[in-house]
Amino acid sequence: MTRLQLLGLAAATALFAAASAHAEGDKAAGRTLVYTCAGCHGVPGYTNAYPQYPVPKIAGQNEQYIINALHGYQSGDRTHPTMGAQAQSLSDKDIQNIAAYLSSLAK
Amino acid sequence: MKRALTLFSFGAMLAFASAHVLANGNIENGKKKAATCFACHGADGNSVDPQYPRLAGQYNAYLVQVLHEYKDGQRNNAIMKGMDATLSDQDIEDIAAYFSSLPTKLDTLKGHIQGD
Repeated sequence: MTRLQLLGLAAATALFAAASAHAEGDKAAGRTLVYTCAGCHGVPGYTNAYPQYPVPKIAGQNEQYIINALHGYQSGDRTHPTMGAQAQSLSDKDIQNIAAYLSSLAK
Repeated sequence: MKRALTLFSFGAMLAFASAHVLANGNIENGKKKAATCFACHGADGNSVDPQYPRLAGQYNAYLVQVLHEYKDGQRNNAIMKGMDATLSDQDIEDIAAYFSSLPTKLDTLKGHIQGD
């Protein structure tokens, strides 16, 4: 193999690795996962109790923000009992899929 | 008469309580106070960088709640804590009123789940 071919192969490998490291979430899988979320986030004006405030609109929210928020609930940077419990049940892949789906819903 | 009076005072109490729940910020003042927010969240409240949330059209009282949470550390975020530190309760109400009044790309999940 010539040096040029080797270089090309190395570049292709690097590209492929970068692409998979920056994995896109699967919207269809996300759509299935958000079934649980809709219990609160799917009811317009639904309020959190103690303290009382409306749960946020999350359809159309930005992708990386959703990922960061769910990881924040997992790590305890965000303290909310219900969201903490929900986030614990999600894998990193689940979170990516949910974020991909929600962000795709921007009006 | 007595019953009417009781009913009336009950109604007055309810009205007072719900007025308290509804945030009473000033949109125009909020627009001025929100100038620092625009760098990340956009003047139209739709952040371009996807790591920052869209605020346009989000629920007013939710924005008030989370601004207080960032300020008191219940939500631990260094950037937002710094931004929030100098805001008064009235500032928070005004800023929330401004962003919630903007045209939105957000929605609830109603109609967006499997089977809908």
